[in-house]
Amino acid sequence: MNHHTRVYDNVFELLPNEQNPSPLVRINRMNPVPEFALYAKLEWMNPFGSVKDRAAWALLQDLEQRGEIGNGRGIVEPTSGNTGISLAALARARGFHMRAVVPNKVSLEKKVLLKIAGAQLDVVSDELCPAPGLGDGSINIAKTHAKASRDKYAMPNQYENEKNVEAHFHTTGPEIWRQTEGKITHLFVSLGTCGTVSGTSRFLRSKKPDIKVIAVQPTEGHDVPGLRNVTQLGVSKLFDSSLVDDILEVEFRLAYSRAMELCQTEGLLAGPSSGLIYEGAREIILRDKAGYGVMIFPDNIFKYTSNMMKHIPSLASGNQA
Amino acid sequence: MANYAQPEVLVETDWVKANLGKPGIKLVEIDVDTKAYDAGHIPGAVGFNWQTQLQDQVRRDIIGQEAFEKLAGGAGISPGDTVILYGDNNNWFAAYGFWLFKIYGHEDVRLMNGGRVKWLNEPDKQMTTEVPKPTPVTYKASAPNSELRALVPQVFEAQKAGKWNLVDVRSPDEYTGKVIAPPGMTETAQRGGHIPGAKSIPWSTAVKPDGSFKSADELRSIYLDQKGVDPNKDTIAYCRIGERSSHTWFVLKYLLGIKNVKNYDGSWTEYGNLIAAPIEK
Repeated sequence: MNHHTRVYDNVFELLPNEQNPSPLVRINRMNPVPEFALYAKLEWMNPFGSVKDRAAWALLQDLEQRGEIGNGRGIVEPTSGNTGISLAALARARGFHMRAVVPNKVSLEKKVLLKIAGAQLDVVSDELCPAPGLGDGSINIAKTHAKASRDKYAMPNQYENEKNVEAHFHTTGPEIWRQTEGKITHLFVSLGTCGTVSGTSRFLRSKKPDIKVIAVQPTEGHDVPGLRNVTQLGVSKLFDSSLVDDILEVEFRLAYSRAMELCQTEGLLAGPSSGLIYEGAREIILRDKAGYGVMIFPDNIFKYTSNMMKHIPSLASGNQA
Repeated sequence: MANYAQPEVLVETDWVKANLGKPGIKLVEIDVDTKAYDAGHIPGAVGFNWQTQLQDQVRRDIIGQEAFEKLAGGAGISPGDTVILYGDNNNWFAAYGFWLFKIYGHEDVRLMNGGRVKWLNEPDKQMTTEVPKPTPVTYKASAPNSELRALVPQVFEAQKAGKWNLVDVRSPDEYTGKVIAPPGMTETAQRGGHIPGAKSIPWSTAVKPDGSFKSADELRSIYLDQKGVDPNKDTIAYCRIGERSSHTWFVLKYLLGIKNVKNYDGSWTEYGNLIAAPIEK
């Protein structure tokens, strides 16, 4: 492995860590207060295309080390897409099989990508009429496979597994600390499993206790894949409110329009969750006026063309001769 | 459970575990997600599909007596057996199955409190993908008990007379007509809103975060004191296609002991399509 020449013996060596961080790129034209340095951490530069490479690798390594997989036993995991793609590609590259249980509302691109990455796909209809304490249908079906077919499946369970948090404590946090030379004052993240926010925040706060951590969430009833509103956070056991200063709620449609603006103004092909985080960061920058902010951009736009067409109607027209 | 009007209709997951495989005890799983049973179920449980096995496949109706006899007998269930029903989504369709078993006069039918999700999340409970092969028996059902079911004429009568409790168990947005059905649902209606005079008491009001039913005292306080259901009046519960209302029907009739409670299984997908039916928003 040579990070300088970027020649590697296998794809696993490409996974991010302090010596091989995902890039940090400054926002220029879309920064409303130039005195407030704002950077985006481009997680789509990871080998399987998203921030989830970090958790997936930690979860898989943990199962391997504990002897939980192998000899015909693979993994089953509920996933809204990115974790599944990373897990499937990593698992298959290590010689294990993978079953992904996916909510129906996940975009077609992600479902097909999961299959291409090597996952067996279970699509379940979620959120029929959510009730308190009713876990997502996909989580329950994955748990059922893990329980009823123990010989075939181990379930990493990204929503409950501390390895998800540790992955960010050991990689994302130290990367940001080193890349910003300790100057970071604000961290902007979204909430999904909450592994990113909990692990990164815990590390950065251990270095600099007054760093502001801002979680940006879409409005309730949203249509932004991979994200959760706090009312849905019951499903994640990894959320630690003491590690978050502000939870900003952003109208979810802005996730799409801001993502397109990032593509067309900054040249950053950011996906909708990044658009949402940017909008939250913008509001805080206008409030705080000075600082050094880092936004964690989870993935790029390529998987979301159908979602984009739904929310930005101009993209859906003029596409035929 | 002692405070419930008829505590014998509920069993706990521990009771089910202790009684697995005992003669005369038959487990049936009925899910909204018809693929859930195949992913895994309680050992020995048969699975009923609400779409293909509990509904008449030609006209819009529950299955007829003969079809019910075939279904129950084919699952190895005799009229004298204790039938334990459970399923996903807090027992929505398990409650619908309970209602169907009662319509056809099955004496001893019970719900597993908390349903599938409670069993799934308890570490000492096993699940399997093995599908049991019960020996078919002859099942003789009673003629359908029309006391448990409301049809449109009764709903109109109840609405006009104003002497009934009408309980709308759908989500608040369905009740107000903001949406006609929850997102992604294929069964829908031409109009949104609710039956005039109906009280909005979403089905989930009756359950705790772990999916099991609230205590009798809590249920009494919510349904009777806060929401104003009069226990001395006849009652009709409805939802969209009759499964969530089966859940509330079960609560009102068996846990609270209200004497005459009917499930209007036509529910909003029937009522919201009727010409000239009165609707409130």
